[in-house]
Amino acid sequence: MSELTGASQPKLRPGCRLRESAGESDMLLIPEGALRLAGTGRKIVERCDGQHTLDDIVRELKAEYPSMEPSRIETEVTTFLERLHQKRVIDF
Amino acid sequence: MTPLSLIAEITHRCPLHCVYCSNPLEMQARERELPTGSWVETFRAAGALGVLQLHLTGGEPLARADVAELVAAGREAGLYVNLITSGIGLSPDRLEALTEAGLDHIQLSFQDSEADEANRIAGTRAHAYKIELARRIKGHRVAFTVNMVVHRRNLERLEPMIALAEELDADRLEIAHVQYYGWALRNRDALLPTRAQWERSLAIITAARERLSGRMRVDFVGPDYYARYPKACMGGWGRSVILIDPAGRAMPCHAAGAIPGLEFDNVQERSLRWIWEESTAFRKFRGEDWMPEPCRSCDRRTQDFGGCRCQAMLLTGDASATDPVCTLAPKHDLVEKVIGQRDSLPEVDANWVYRIDPVSAAG
Repeated sequence: MSELTGASQPKLRPGCRLRESAGESDMLLIPEGALRLAGTGRKIVERCDGQHTLDDIVRELKAEYPSMEPSRIETEVTTFLERLHQKRVIDF
Repeated sequence: MTPLSLIAEITHRCPLHCVYCSNPLEMQARERELPTGSWVETFRAAGALGVLQLHLTGGEPLARADVAELVAAGREAGLYVNLITSGIGLSPDRLEALTEAGLDHIQLSFQDSEADEANRIAGTRAHAYKIELARRIKGHRVAFTVNMVVHRRNLERLEPMIALAEELDADRLEIAHVQYYGWALRNRDALLPTRAQWERSLAIITAARERLSGRMRVDFVGPDYYARYPKACMGGWGRSVILIDPAGRAMPCHAAGAIPGLEFDNVQERSLRWIWEESTAFRKFRGEDWMPEPCRSCDRRTQDFGGCRCQAMLLTGDASATDPVCTLAPKHDLVEKVIGQRDSLPEVDANWVYRIDPVSAAG
């Protein structure tokens, strides 16, 4: 299994996508289920496009949440992506 | 309460004749099938109700020519679209059209890891074709699940079946023991595993899950006759699932037709919202008011909702009884008796009944 590093480019797997809706979508649809995204979750998933690196995502979230502890953002993003990978939602 | 899934049984027609088919014994003929427009309307209504997932199934859904249109309509309604198929009829062009239309997920069913046995269960020669098809599916951007139905006759090959799913590079493997309704109940003697088989299968699944963690998701449905407590059938009656049969009848589950006296409203006559919120069929066993003891005072009532109403009906003759697979059920002896007889039964597969296609009313 590949390791998640700063240069990894996470990408949603086939059959995993954000729900299209008129307002803000906070539902990540996956085979036989859905994950409700809270807080930064949506911001992270939106960037799982195979282009953004982990470092990019962390940097952009730091800019978007200036009041949050930077090291906490880094840990949160990494843990969240690892969890999504474990659930077979993203590849990197 | 919001329904999460809409199961659309768009046709009962099927080129396979599986001895454990979940379709009712009395099926809807082609002339009674809903036209494309009614399904499109129904999907729209489902999206508005808050449904997230649409499961297109049958019969064999591909027996209808308008599946790609239905997939597109599901996506337009904001739904996640899953196709549950035997793969028969899925030509390269059609597969292309379905993924173009926005299909999210394909579940391809296999009857066994060995061609001869698989063909024997399905009553047709489809196994080699399915393997070829699985390879083709992997060339598209769509989630791919391999479904394996397991029972007495193929459980010994559970490991090769898991290996097949790995070889086909499935994203997800669903291994489901036959559940005893419809055709499967008819053929129960030939299909119900022994307790030893069941325990061995559990050990194999546990090991496979650990080994495949992060690579392939493995979901497992056990044979509830051996369970201590019943399954939370359909996530509870009228709690999260709406099933529409080919003729448009809305039902709380596949087998609800087995319960006498229940009337199922048709999506052509009533709105889906009314059916969900008001119809007698959906309200019949919703909540806890209908529950007998020991369910009514049981701590597990909010987890398993008293088990399966159809199973209660089929085994005890009373749809309101505690599901007899529950070890706490007053009528649990009925299930014990079936299990007890299991080992002494001869091989009776020669007598099993193949599912036949719905016969035209005109015929």
